Order: sequence, then C-alpha cells, then structure tokens
Amino acid sequence: MRALVLILISICLLPFIVRPAIASEIWIFAIFGLGLNLLLGYTGLLSFGQSTFFGSAAYVAGWLLKNYGINVFFALGIGVGVGALSALLVGYLCVQRSGLYFIMLTFALNQLFYFIAYQWTTVTGGEDGMPGIPRPEFLGLNFKDPLVYYAFVSILFLLSLYLMRRIVESPLGKILQAIRENELRAEAVGYNVPRFKLLAFVIGGAFSGLAGVLYAMLFGIVPLEAISFVFSGNVVFATLIGGSGSLYGPIIGSFVFIWLSESMSVVWARWPLLLGVAFVIVVLFFRGGVVEVWNKVFAWRSSKQRA
Amino acid sequence: MALLETKSLSKSFGALAAVKDVTLEITEGSLHSIIGPNGAGKTTLFNLLTGAFPPTSGRIIFDGKDITGTPANRVAHLGLARSFQRTNVFPAFSLLDNVWVAAFATGRSWGGLLFKKSTNYPEATERARAALSDVGLLPKAHVAAREISHGEQRQLELAIALAAAPRVLLLDEPAAGLSPEETRNMVALVRKLKGRYTIVLIEHKIDIIMSVSDRISVMHFGSLIAEGPPQEIQRNPEVRRAYLGGIAA
Repeated sequence: MRALVLILISICLLPFIVRPAIASEIWIFAIFGLGLNLLLGYTGLLSFGQSTFFGSAAYVAGWLLKNYGINVFFALGIGVGVGALSALLVGYLCVQRSGLYFIMLTFALNQLFYFIAYQWTTVTGGEDGMPGIPRPEFLGLNFKDPLVYYAFVSILFLLSLYLMRRIVESPLGKILQAIRENELRAEAVGYNVPRFKLLAFVIGGAFSGLAGVLYAMLFGIVPLEAISFVFSGNVVFATLIGGSGSLYGPIIGSFVFIWLSESMSVVWARWPLLLGVAFVIVVLFFRGGVVEVWNKVFAWRSSKQRA
Repeated sequence: MALLETKSLSKSFGALAAVKDVTLEITEGSLHSIIGPNGAGKTTLFNLLTGAFPPTSGRIIFDGKDITGTPANRVAHLGLARSFQRTNVFPAFSLLDNVWVAAFATGRSWGGLLFKKSTNYPEATERARAALSDVGLLPKAHVAAREISHGEQRQLELAIALAAAPRVLLLDEPAAGLSPEETRNMVALVRKLKGRYTIVLIEHKIDIIMSVSDRISVMHFGSLIAEGPPQEIQRNPEVRRAYLGGIAA
C-alpha cells in the first residue's frame, strides 16, 4: 500500500521535475523491467535478449501505425502480440539449455534479430531507424500533447503493475519461484519446468512488446538500438540496481537509470562511468539493490525508535 | 496384488551397469525395503521408477499400466512421490510453501493459474497443512526452510512427498545423517505412515529395516540377490556374505 501511494505521488510530481517525454520514458522502461523481472527475479533466468521482443514489437506496430494508420489500442495489441510471439520463438530455443548456455542463447538470438533489422533497410531503415511514427488521436484524446500521452502511459503502467502483481501472487508466481529455488525438485513434484520457463518468457515478452510500442510512439521513431544488446543490457542493469528480489525493484531501477542518463548525459559525456561504479557497489554490497537499502534503513530507523 | 512392478529393468551408464535385470513386485499397502551396500544401484532404481531418466531396457508397470519412459513431472501426477537422499527442498520458501507447491501440482484443478491468489486454493492448502502436521512441522509452517535444523529438513523432505497425496511413497534413506534420537522419531513416523501408503524404502540402518519392513529385497552390484520377509533375509547366507559381512555371520 505504501509503495502504491509512493508510485501515485511520483506519477503526479514527475512531469513537474523532468520533461514529460523523459517522465513517460521512465514508466515505459519500468514496464519493460517488470517483464524482465518475472524471468530474472522470480524464475532466476538471466535473459540478455529482452530487446528482441521490445524492438520487434516496436518495428511491427510502428510500421502499421505509419503505413496503415491503425489506432493506438490496436497498435498496443499488436505490440503485445508480437512481443509474446517472438518470446515464444526465442524462449522455446533458450529453455532447452540452462546456466551460461541459456544466457548465451538469449544473447545470440538477440544479435540475430538485430542484424535482420540492420539489414532490412527498406522496412526498418537500418542504422537510421524507422522515423515518422504517428501518435494518432483516439476518441478525442490528443496524444500529440505530451502530457496527455504521459497520462496514458502512466495508466498503462499502473495496469501492467496490477497485472504483474496478480501474476506473481498467483500459483504461477509460486511455481516460477520454486523453479528458481530448486529446479530438480520442482520437476519431481510434478511441474514441466521447461514449459513453465517458456510461459514466463511469453509473459515477459508481452510486457516488453507493450513497452516497445509505447516507446516508438513516444519518440516517433524506432532507433536501431531499440533491438540491440545494449538495450537488453540496460534493462538488466536497471533491474539489478533497483533490486530484482522485489516486484518494485525494476520500477526504482528505471527511475534511477533513465533519470541519471538524462540528467547526467548533458553535464558529463562520460556519465556511464558513474553508473558503472553504482553497479559495482550494488553487486558487492547490496545484492538486493535499492529496495534492500531502503528496507535496511527502515528497519534501522524503527529499531532506533523502539530503543 | 502388485501395485508397482519392474520387469527385467536395466540401466547402464557407459560400461557401468548400475541396475541389472531387476524384476520386482511391490504389493499394494505393504512396506517394501530395498537394502544393499553403497553403490548397489538402489538410488538409480528409484530414479528409474520416478522417471528421472529412462531405463536402458526393461519395463515399469504401475497399477497395470506400462509407465516406462514417462518423464518425472508426469510420474508425480500418476501417484508416485519420492523423497530424496540428499535434502532437496526450496530453501527460501516457508515450510508451508514448500509443501503447498507439491500439493498444488497434483491438485484437482489448475484453474486461475495466472491470476487467482495462491492463498485461494483451500484444497491444496489443506493438504499442505495436513502433510506438515503428519511430520510434526505444523508449528513451524511459516519459518523458512533454510532456517530449520537438518533433522527437520529431513522431515520436510518427507512432507513434500506426502503433500502430493501419492499412492506409492518412495523414501530414499529418510534417516540419512540423523542423530539417534532423530532417527527414532523418523522410524516412528515411517511406522505411522505404514498401511496408509504403499511404501518403498531404501535404508542403510539394518535395525530399522528389520523392524518395519514387510518384505525386503537385497541389491548387490546392480542385481537383486535375494527377496523375502525380514527373518528369511536375516538367515540368507548369500545376503550375509554380500551385505552384513563376515562379522554379522
């Protein structure tokens, strides 16, 4: 409850602090992170290929928006579908292996999709990206207004958060965590482990797809990086900084990551150095990310009050 | 009537024949023990029965149906549940969650898998609590599995198998690494479960075996060398040579 109040306050205050486009990007990236964290935090699968689903959805929905003038909700539906479908394809191959081989497969398939986008210039625009993606008006809502679009993104983010919460509190969430804890035993008590991993992939892919389409409409372009391994790395990075052990970790991570990258990149071109230092500190001392630090401070304060 | 049977079951790992031509009949409702020196192939036999890997040759028949080659996650649904020799639980989960996951797997319905709260499955929760209560861990239902003692983890191991509401319970050295007192508790527990389930028990401690078993099969270098009721096994000269050693004779 406290977390939800904090999120609602942040949603209201954020556009006053940063540009609406950046504010929107934070929540979009948070949706992307929620999808990854179902794999990373709950199932214990490190996917280094989430931008495959993000990018594919952005390209397909962007293309349809641009050339066929489909409406916004249809575009989002297409994005979720493409995200889930590409995750089904990639996931099917990846879940056959585990550990390092699994990670390398997600990475390799990401590269495959990247080079398809890179080469297929007539559709994707290759290195120049796919520009000119509209944000069509819908039911009298002018999405071209940055604040209206921000409100729209915020609502979709809250919806995604609600859905993800239902999923992690459902039996599926328990089963995925059981797989993370002990794959062999999960199989022995009667779960088809590869099948459940694949399901986690598809759900994560659907969230990534939604984020991808919102991203394309936000900036009016699908840049080639949207399907690159750097983007896949960023979401892993942000989630780990926020804390992969918690539902809210990726949201905090997205906040820190996008905000830092926007505010620091104009001041200091070498700002990723700072991020690197932050990452090392998190990995060495706070494996649970910002969420863990927060909980520790809270526990320390309440113990002080009692004393 | 035999509930679980193997027919000429064999498993080789390269040149090593871990299980050789084992033909076994487990009578419904009985407690059937499998003994033998280390490396005799007892755990491999369990792995074959529960589908951890397929046999090289031979067949497994459960309740009249050929289940040879059925993968582990399907075997659990047929009604065979096992406990492991090395403690094999979900460390970060509470004890209740440990057994709940097993109870849900074989539960009546998976409806609402993606959106219903996992606390909203009264049938699975009830079964999970009953399993914890059977092994005496209900008071610790909300403690994390990694925080309980080794002896309690062995009990939890058993509870996870019970939560699946199996017809056959395969117990792989439930008393491994337990103190004398914990062992006594475990024996009492196995005795309590006897009759409620068909039990196949692997155990090293010969006094336990002799006191609880209805029938005993003896394995040596992958093969069955003797089978019969406890008194008969105790007198069998071949068993004494292979297993009990010169001292017991």
